[in-house]
Amino acid sequence: MGFDIDRLRSRVGRRDPDSGADDVRTDGGTEATTGGSRFARLKHSDLVQSLPFWLPPALLMGLFVYGAIGWNLLISLTDWSGLQQPEYTDLSLEMYTQMPADASFVAAFRNTVVLLVVFTVISLLIGLGLAILIDRNIRFENTFRTIYLLPMALSFVVTAIFWSWMYNPSTGTINVILRGVGLDFLAMNWLGDTRTRLAAIIFALTWQFSGYAMVVYLAGLRAIPDSHYEAAKVDGAGSLRMYWRVIIPQLSAATTSAAVVLMVFALKAFDFIYVMFGDNPGRSADILAVMMFRVAFSRSQWAYGAAVATILFLMALSVVAPYLYMQYKRGDL
Amino acid sequence: MTDDNRLPRRRYLQLTAGAGAVALAGCAEDQDPDDLDTDDTDDDGTGETDDLEIVHWWTAGSEEEAFTALVDGFEEEHPDYSVDDNPAPGGAGAAIDAEIQTRVLDEDPPGTFQIWPGEALRDYLDADALEPVGDLWEDEDAYVDGVLDAAAPDGDLVIAPINIHRLNNIFYNVDVVEEIGVDPDEADSPEALLEMFEAADDAGYVGLAQQTQEPWGILQFWEMVFIGQHGVDAYEQFLEGDAESLESEIESSLDLVEQTSEYYNEDASSVAWDEANNDVITGDAAFHHNGDWAAGEYEGADDFEYGEDWEYAVFPGTEDVYTMVIDGFVYPANNPTPEATEAFVSYCTTTDAQERFNPHKGSIPPRTDASMDEFPEFLQNQMDDFEASGQQTVSISHGSGLNPAQADEVEEAFAVFSDNWDVEETTQELINIF
Repeated sequence: MGFDIDRLRSRVGRRDPDSGADDVRTDGGTEATTGGSRFARLKHSDLVQSLPFWLPPALLMGLFVYGAIGWNLLISLTDWSGLQQPEYTDLSLEMYTQMPADASFVAAFRNTVVLLVVFTVISLLIGLGLAILIDRNIRFENTFRTIYLLPMALSFVVTAIFWSWMYNPSTGTINVILRGVGLDFLAMNWLGDTRTRLAAIIFALTWQFSGYAMVVYLAGLRAIPDSHYEAAKVDGAGSLRMYWRVIIPQLSAATTSAAVVLMVFALKAFDFIYVMFGDNPGRSADILAVMMFRVAFSRSQWAYGAAVATILFLMALSVVAPYLYMQYKRGDL
Repeated sequence: MTDDNRLPRRRYLQLTAGAGAVALAGCAEDQDPDDLDTDDTDDDGTGETDDLEIVHWWTAGSEEEAFTALVDGFEEEHPDYSVDDNPAPGGAGAAIDAEIQTRVLDEDPPGTFQIWPGEALRDYLDADALEPVGDLWEDEDAYVDGVLDAAAPDGDLVIAPINIHRLNNIFYNVDVVEEIGVDPDEADSPEALLEMFEAADDAGYVGLAQQTQEPWGILQFWEMVFIGQHGVDAYEQFLEGDAESLESEIESSLDLVEQTSEYYNEDASSVAWDEANNDVITGDAAFHHNGDWAAGEYEGADDFEYGEDWEYAVFPGTEDVYTMVIDGFVYPANNPTPEATEAFVSYCTTTDAQERFNPHKGSIPPRTDASMDEFPEFLQNQMDDFEASGQQTVSISHGSGLNPAQADEVEEAFAVFSDNWDVEETTQELINIF
C-alpha cells in the first residue's frame, strides 16, 4: 500500500509543469509521443484516471454535507420566517447580532458550554478509573465491562424517561435511597430546582457515556507493554505513582479521541432534554440544539434557527478541528 | 509492472465504475414507478389518485379508536376513496409541525392534515398554503359563532372542525372534596379556588395535581385564571396583542398562579400530566385542572365512576364561557388528491362523522344538532354547557389563540416562570412578546 502511494506521488511529481511540455517520453510509449497533445497527456494523468474513484463520493459528500452546511449558512443570513420561500436578495448578519441580547440564547449557549466541559471531564475521569480497576485482572472482567458499557446502547428516549422517574422527588429511586440512609437533607427536587437541573442532566449523561470512555481507556491500557509496569515496580514506584507517572501519560491519545467523541455527544444531547422537557426546558437546562429546534420548528423562524445551527456547527468544528490537526501533524491522517 | 500493463486494467476499472454509476442511476429511475405501482400508493405527482393521505397525531389508545371510527365512516360513505393513514406521533402535535411545514415548503403537502384552527394556521394562511373550504361545509347554521370565528381566522372558512375539547374545567375527587368540606360548584372566582386548595392542603391532601415539566400546564392554568378574573373580553384583548394596557391584570393573575403553586404535588416537575392526574384517582390529590381529555383517564380507571368518585366543576369565574380546544382538517393548496380531500373535509362537517369520532375522543361534536345519545353522561353535560355558553374562546397553550411564534414565546415565558415564580419579570416578558 505504502509502495503504491509513493509511486503515485512520484508520478504526480512528474506532471509538474516545470518538467517541460516536451518531456513526453514518460507515459505510455508510442501513443503518447505520436499524440503529443495536451489532451492525451491529460487523459493519461493520474488525476483524470483516478476521477471515477473519488469524484462520485466527493460530489455526494460535497452536495449533501458541505452543500447543506453552506446553504444553512446562507439561510442564516436572510430573514426567512413563516412558510413562504426565502429571499436571498438582502443578506445581513442581523440574526447573529441579535444573539447577545437574546436572554434565551445566552442561557442556551452557557448551558451548552457547561454541559460540554463538565460532562466530558467527569466521563473521562470515571472512565479512566473504571478502566484501571478492570485492567487489574479482576474476576468477572467481561461481565463488568458489559455492565458499564450497556447504558451506551440505550436510546436517549429510554434513558430520559427512566431518569425522570429516578429523579422524581417523592417516589424516585434516588430520593428514596437518600432518605433510606438518613440523608434526607440531600433529597432534592432534582429536575424542578433550577440549581440542580443541569447537574442532574449531566449526571445522567455521565452514567450513560462513561462506559464508552472506559472501553477506549481499556484499549489504551492493554496496548502498554507489561514491561513498563514491571520496570516501574522494580524502580520502587507504588501503584499510585506508577499510574500517575508512567501509565496515564501514555494514554493521551486515548484521552483525546474519547474526549472528542464525548464532546460531540454532549452537543447532540438534544433527544435527552427534548424527551424530558419538550422544546421549552427553561433557562436552566436549555441547550443550543433544543433552542435550534424550538426556534425553527415551533416558531418557523428559520433564519434564526439556521444561525443557531451555525453557532453549534462552529462549536463542533472547534472541538474536532484541533484533533484532526494533531492527527495530521502526527502523520496519522 | 510496466505502464503498458497497468493502463488497460485501469481503463477496465474506469469502465466498470462508469457502468456501475450508470446502472445505479438507471435503477433509481426505473425503480420508482415500479415500486409505486406494486404498493399502490400512486403518489407520483399526477394529482389524480384515489388514496387520501391523512397526517395526524392520534396514534394511541382512545385517540386511535376515534380516528379509526372516523376513517371507517368516511370509507363507508365514499367507497371510491381509501385512506392512506400517515401518523406523525407525538403528543399534541410535537412532531407533526416539523413534518407538515417541511412538506408545505416543498409544495408536497399531504391530502389533508390535522391542525388546530385560529391563529395556529397563521403561517399557512400567510403563505397561501390553504384553500378555503366554505363550499364543502354542510349546514353552517349548526355551529355557534365562536367555532365559525376560529375556523375562519381571515374571514374565509379554511378548516373543518371535528371535535371540541373544553379547557375551563376543574376535576376533583368527590370523596376527598367531601372530606375537606368544600363545594367546588359554589366557588365563583379563581380566588375561591385558591381557598379550596388551601383547605385541601390543611387536610393533608395535594391541592392541585399539576405537571410543570412542560410549560403548557401552568400556561393553560394561567389562561383560565386570567379569564376567571378579568373576563373573556380582556383575554381576547391580550390575544389581539394589546398586552401593555393589561399590565395590572396580567400581574394579578400571575400572582394568583404563583400562590397556587404552593399546593402542587411535590413531584410536579418530573411527571407528565397523566401521572399527575393519577393522584386524583388514587385520592392523594383533590383537584386537577386540564382539558376534558383528562376525563378519559378516569373512565379508564377501575371503580372510578363519574358523579360518585370524580366530578368536575366549571373553572371558577368562567361559568358563562366555553374555552375550546378544537382539532380539524384542512385543504392544503397544491393538493395531490383534490377530490378525495374535498370528500373528506366535507365528510368531517357531517353529524355522522362527528358522532362517530367524539365519543371515543372524549370531546363534543362542533355541530350543536349532533345527537348525543351515544355519548357518556359527562360529555352530554359538557354539550349542555356548550349550548348554554354565552361566550366561546380559544386557548394559547393549545394553538388557536396566538400564532405559533408568539405562542411558543409565551410558553418559554412560562417555562421561566415555573422556575423562578417571578411575577414582575414574567409580566414584562409577556408584554414584550407583542
